[in-house]
Amino acid sequence: MASVQYDEATRLYPGTPKPAVDKLNLTIDDGELLVLVGPSGSGKSTALRMLAGLEPLDGGHILIGGKDVSNIRPRERDIAMVFQNYALYPNLDVAQNMGFALKQQGVPKHERAQRVREVAKLLDLEPYLDRKPRNLSGGQRQRVAMGRAIVRRPQVYLMDEPLSNLDAKLRVQTRAELVELQRRLAVTTVYVTHDQVEAMTMGHRVAVLRDGDLQQVDAPSKLYHEPSNLFVAGFIGSPAMNMLPVSVGTVVNVAGTDIKIGDTVERGRRATLGFRPESVLIGESGPIPARIRLVEDLGSELFVHLTIDHEGAEHRIVAKVDAPFAGQAEENVHITLRGAVHLFDETEARRATVKL
Amino acid sequence: MIRKRTGSTLGVGERRSVTIGIGMLAWIVALLWIFPVAWTVFTSFKTEQDAATQTLSQGLSLGRYSDVAHAIPGTLSLETAFMNSLVVVLVSTLIVLLLALPAAYALAIRPIHRWRDVLFFFISTKFLPIVASIFPIYVYAEKWNLIGTRTVLIVLYIAINLPLAIWMLRSFFMEVPRELIEAAEIDGTNLFNQLRQVILPLAGPGIAATALLCVIFAWNEYFYALQLNFASGSTMPQWVITNVSTRGNFLAKLSAASVIACLPVVLAGWAAQKRMIRGLSMGAIK
Amino acid sequence: MTAAAADAALPRGRAKDPFSSPWRRRLPLLPALLYVIAITQLPFVVSIYYSFTNLKDKTQSLIPEPTKFVGIDNYKQIFSDPFFRDAMWTSVKMTVLAVVLSLLFGTLFAVLLDRKFIGQGVIRTLLITPFLLMPVVAALIWKQQMFSSLFGVLNKALNFVGLNSVQFISDHPLASIVTVLVWQWTPFMMLIMLAGLQSQPGDVLEAASVDGANALGIFRQLTLPHLRRYLELGALLGSIYIVQAFDAIDVMTGGGPGSTNVPYYVYEESIGGGFRYGSASAYAIVVVVFSIVIATFALRVLSSLFRDEERA
Repeated sequence: MASVQYDEATRLYPGTPKPAVDKLNLTIDDGELLVLVGPSGSGKSTALRMLAGLEPLDGGHILIGGKDVSNIRPRERDIAMVFQNYALYPNLDVAQNMGFALKQQGVPKHERAQRVREVAKLLDLEPYLDRKPRNLSGGQRQRVAMGRAIVRRPQVYLMDEPLSNLDAKLRVQTRAELVELQRRLAVTTVYVTHDQVEAMTMGHRVAVLRDGDLQQVDAPSKLYHEPSNLFVAGFIGSPAMNMLPVSVGTVVNVAGTDIKIGDTVERGRRATLGFRPESVLIGESGPIPARIRLVEDLGSELFVHLTIDHEGAEHRIVAKVDAPFAGQAEENVHITLRGAVHLFDETEARRATVKL
Repeated sequence: MIRKRTGSTLGVGERRSVTIGIGMLAWIVALLWIFPVAWTVFTSFKTEQDAATQTLSQGLSLGRYSDVAHAIPGTLSLETAFMNSLVVVLVSTLIVLLLALPAAYALAIRPIHRWRDVLFFFISTKFLPIVASIFPIYVYAEKWNLIGTRTVLIVLYIAINLPLAIWMLRSFFMEVPRELIEAAEIDGTNLFNQLRQVILPLAGPGIAATALLCVIFAWNEYFYALQLNFASGSTMPQWVITNVSTRGNFLAKLSAASVIACLPVVLAGWAAQKRMIRGLSMGAIK
Repeated sequence: MTAAAADAALPRGRAKDPFSSPWRRRLPLLPALLYVIAITQLPFVVSIYYSFTNLKDKTQSLIPEPTKFVGIDNYKQIFSDPFFRDAMWTSVKMTVLAVVLSLLFGTLFAVLLDRKFIGQGVIRTLLITPFLLMPVVAALIWKQQMFSSLFGVLNKALNFVGLNSVQFISDHPLASIVTVLVWQWTPFMMLIMLAGLQSQPGDVLEAASVDGANALGIFRQLTLPHLRRYLELGALLGSIYIVQAFDAIDVMTGGGPGSTNVPYYVYEESIGGGFRYGSASAYAIVVVVFSIVIATFALRVLSSLFRDEERA
């Protein structure tokens, strides 16, 4: 159990112009599950591997439990890792896979067997203890990979997209089990994923990365309601936030309607207005005329894709409505903006949020 | 996910009749191709008269095999040649593996920077014709009293087979997933244990295929064995040749000698052909 | 090579281990490397020295000559030696014919074998047998059983249909040797091409079939390009061994015009009868220079194979 700290950690691949991880400063508290999320190439896996010791540091330090481990080999860092493709030893059975690290540490046989059995029970793996990985299903293999990490009782767990190879339903189910498990074991966990839904539902805090730079690290709700920049606003939340280019005056004009936005952005400059699908109300009457393009019916809620005429051009926006909804494609309707609306300036930083 | 291909090439979804037709054609081709071998085996059971005239009047027996197995004093005997070949082949192959395994590790698992240059250097040593170096080798072998010994052949066969062994072992090592080695590292293994507990079990079949190829080339090698040995102290290829010159051109005996000489390697090759296929083509291609 | 460029040139999937120094990584390679250098390069260097002398086996001549330094006389003699030119030409013919024909047959057989039918495994087992035989045995089989004018099966068959016997080996020495080489190496090529055929992704072939291509079209436009790397590998490995062919020549023709390739010629010049070691060494050096030229060409083939591996 320990805290983890990235201190100006940098990794620059030779021959590339920009570091894959650029002066990352991030502290993860003891017992916390921190999710590193971002699109591919954002540096999240690299940051994880730097913590593991599988990637060298080209600058800065990494500390585990207050101790600088930057020059210490992976096997001496007291960490356990779950790989995306599980990396189970094919010639060993499940029990041997899970006990492998303990064996390397010299843990005596009966204690090893007992700890393996404990964890196997925790993960429902008892019937499979003498099977080889090739005779297991994807979900079972995933659990063995988890078990192999859990049995070690390390200071930190590292997880590199452990759920992405599972089918959708299993993924959702395993996600919940994983969160429960982590809360129970209370071991510091660093979790990498590209799926923002996973990030939002699992992390105590979520760190959003883009092109090697940390965009924002906060609790999920803060990321959702108070995104610090345009990228985070657009990355978190599905369907993505609607965004319209606007000019800032005393008010901001959206498709013919004025919205009071306050004084935070200089007059005369361009900005981006962002509002989430649930902030769009569709009705017979309203300030903004729109046309329905497509209705996606998920049963309990619907996503309605519309186009509006804004600043002389057609823009698409998405609205989220609860069932029942009677609208159809090609219908003309009116929309109203309600709830939180964000303003992002030209540097993409969020400057203001207004409740309508 | 790419589905593994089994079956037809030319036509995806060949008609069954076409497959059967091609199958029969394949049988005919194979039998024709193998005919010289089959004929030789057949001849080895004949008497010399029958062999010379292509008839079968005197029936088949194992007589020629026992003729050939009994040594004519003063010439190379089967026991001597066989033992020489066995020792030379096994020892040289073992040492090849001992040298090639770490080398392949240095080229595949924790690669050095100039891995391509090194690989090319090893292969380039096979471009040098061995006839070019035979004289200096002979001179020094004579100086050190190594003519006619198994040692000189072992030393040379190692040099002949090392490039191929390194090439093949490297490609088998490359097939071990990087994540597996990383997992082993994180789980607390050092270099030696990574090799022993993770890499070698996975690369085992490849190592066997490599060893087999080395055995084949070493067992069948003729030139060095001929030049560096006395007529009475050489290996199996030389033994077959003595059955030509000392016993005259007796076809049946020659056939029997050929069968005996080639049998071990042929059986080994048959048993391990699937592994050899993988080994040969994994040479530079995934 | 700068550290940066070299690092980028590491084979895919093999990240640099941040905790081991370059020398620790080189260490496992050294025993094999040093061994090969010692056994293959040192004799070569000694040969260079001999090539500048008139070293001969003194027991072979009536008037023994003292060994002395003769400068580049040996080399000058090579360029005016018509037999050496013949040997080079024979080498080229022999190697090219043997490699090309065995690749051709090998591919054909691989295509035949690349499907499931009864006895497919047995056929493959039978077909690889010639490759496993000792080259001297293979040569003997063809010399005595097949080509022989007295006992040979081929002549018996020809006579049977009323044709005259053919003196295969005496009248067609090069063809006879190439026959044996092709017979032995076709299985090797077949194995490589089989691996190539079976590594084709089935989806692509199915897509082509759905798009309306017929068997020949698919083969020509999809399969052959995919097989190119395997053909290159087969040609490379085969050439390395075939260009040094010795056993078949020694057994079947004992040298002689039309069937003496360069290795055999150099052999005859040195311990095979000529005992003119000084001049033989010069020949050997010239051969080595040629080999290096060819090897550089082969390097380009190798490089493209390695590059494909990185990209794959």
